[in-house]
Amino acid sequence: MKHRLVAILVAGACLAASLAFAEDNAAQKAAEAKATTTCQDCHGPKGDSMVATFPRLNGQQADYIAAQLKNFRDHSRSDPHAQAYMWGMASQLDDSIIAELGKYYAAQTATQAQSGGDLAAEGKKIYLNGAPAQNVPACATCHGVQAEGNSIMPRLAGQHADYLKKQLEAFRSTLRENDIMHANTKDMNDSQIEALVSFLAND
Amino acid sequence: MSHRPRRAQWLLRIFFGLFALVLTDLPQSALAVPSFARQTGLACEACHTVFPQLTPFGRVFKASGYTLFNTQKVTDIDRSKQSTLSLSDLPPISAMIMAGTSDAEKANDPNSSKVSTDFPQQASLFYAGRISDNMGAYFQLTYDDQSGSIGIDNTDIRFAEVANVDGHNVIYGISLNNNPTVQDLWNSTPAWGQPFINSPTGQSPAIPGAQIEGALAQVVAGLTAYTYIDNSLYIEAGVYRSALQGASVADNGNTTNNIISGVAPYWRAAYEFDWGKNSWEFGTFGISAPLENPTTPAGNAINNSLQNAATDRFLDVGLDSQYQFIDDENQISIDARWTHENQNLEASYLAGFATNRTDNFDSANATVSYYWHRKVGASLGLFTVSGSNDPLYLGTISGNSNSSWGMAEIDYLPWLNVKLGLQYTAFMRFDGASSNYDGLGRNASDNNLLYGYLWLAF
Repeated sequence: MKHRLVAILVAGACLAASLAFAEDNAAQKAAEAKATTTCQDCHGPKGDSMVATFPRLNGQQADYIAAQLKNFRDHSRSDPHAQAYMWGMASQLDDSIIAELGKYYAAQTATQAQSGGDLAAEGKKIYLNGAPAQNVPACATCHGVQAEGNSIMPRLAGQHADYLKKQLEAFRSTLRENDIMHANTKDMNDSQIEALVSFLAND
Repeated sequence: MSHRPRRAQWLLRIFFGLFALVLTDLPQSALAVPSFARQTGLACEACHTVFPQLTPFGRVFKASGYTLFNTQKVTDIDRSKQSTLSLSDLPPISAMIMAGTSDAEKANDPNSSKVSTDFPQQASLFYAGRISDNMGAYFQLTYDDQSGSIGIDNTDIRFAEVANVDGHNVIYGISLNNNPTVQDLWNSTPAWGQPFINSPTGQSPAIPGAQIEGALAQVVAGLTAYTYIDNSLYIEAGVYRSALQGASVADNGNTTNNIISGVAPYWRAAYEFDWGKNSWEFGTFGISAPLENPTTPAGNAINNSLQNAATDRFLDVGLDSQYQFIDDENQISIDARWTHENQNLEASYLAGFATNRTDNFDSANATVSYYWHRKVGASLGLFTVSGSNDPLYLGTISGNSNSSWGMAEIDYLPWLNVKLGLQYTAFMRFDGASSNYDGLGRNASDNNLLYGYLWLAF
């Protein structure tokens, strides 16, 4: 009797695991299909966008992508581009596809920063050490020394310069609402933004 | 000429009156969006710089068969779990209203008014959106106040698939449409080219454009196959046949004119470079249209039996280019097109309606437009048509239809789907002359026209 019970439990666990695997597999396939058709139209093949209007997603943190897609879906991110493009695009995504989209882009080869020159060197200083006079903390604390990001902190290295600049300006003006990033950027001046972008971007 | 300041003041009053009416009478909460926007959940700016000019993403949406959707849908499957139904929960219905008022430099004839108001100039109802997972349609039904009738306007029904081939995004499909180039993705080809709107009372030269530049619109049915690779390379080919509205080639054939003999082959190839906020397209397009029972610009017509109809043959070859700069603040578009038409007028010549057996015709235009924040904009355009000397065929005093004119326009968009415009068209040359082109003392500049309009899409 005891053996039969164990066998039933093991069989049940196997069935549940295989169902969960099948579900994950279906979500993965659906996410890949979406990434290689609809998402690719703007964000480029494998997330390597060619147009500065749309951010690069290749090598981006999976958790960050998932968090942003959920923010688009529930409209808690409401800057103009989010409303114009991503509110509609994310409206019918379920959590499993969102998670798989994050994993898909995180697995793609990241674009590296193309920093060089005096302006980028100035940006590197701000990135690594902050700018105490403007209450700007070191970006590297959250975004990583290589600007590779960490979980819901996005990768910044290799992003389009114009996109990075617009986001920093949007945080500063609260056009893109984020309490932490607004606090970090509210006293940042334009030349500091230019320097940071020069250090981080690849265009 | 002394009337010009008063006329300008009057038109400005109407323009700003309409503007004030829109601002005061339309509640902000009634922000209306056409059916593509409702279907996709994307704002107008995703697909348009300013309507109807497409962005790179708008081109992809169109090439993909208008099928992208982000709404709930009604579905069904068969026993093998294949989809048998995929309807949007909202029908993709939209409406459009154009209203305008025009003031010509001089009335078109001694008995007519130089001022005309058209309300509505056009009123259209659209089915514009997906039909199934791979099919979509742009179907326009239009009331036109000049004819006082309702008719089928531009129609484009598509089947499209998207595939990933070795990392390349390949869109391919079929279009069934009723106007050569209505299915095209760029605003440098005729059907969606500049000017996007103009006065219905304006004067046109004896030949305003090549056959592909409007003469075949809504009187043909075309089936074309296309592919759009990596949002850059576009190739399309197909054929057109006559599909008349309000008449049939199956009955009373000797009263129908300009019927395509057999089929008219159509081709299109284009390449687009995208970099940063810029895109630049260049391409070619054309059609070979043999027309039975042809009419001539002079107003003559051959009315034979269609069983053995006489045929004039037109070969149109066009080159086009479009540059766009698009960011949040500034939107710049430059559209240019040159079309050459080889006219084999054997039928008209033998009927005594043409001086020459063959003629040539060229049309060229270029327009620059700039918008600030998609709210305020201005456009400048230059247009020319020129061709062979053929007094019998064209019926002009000069013997040709060589004309050139410029257009300047300012626009204001209080919302992305509401456009107010003021347009001025100035003719430098008309039907071969700048002065006395009709032999009755009328000058090209007498056709100059000031036109104010309101254009709503909702």
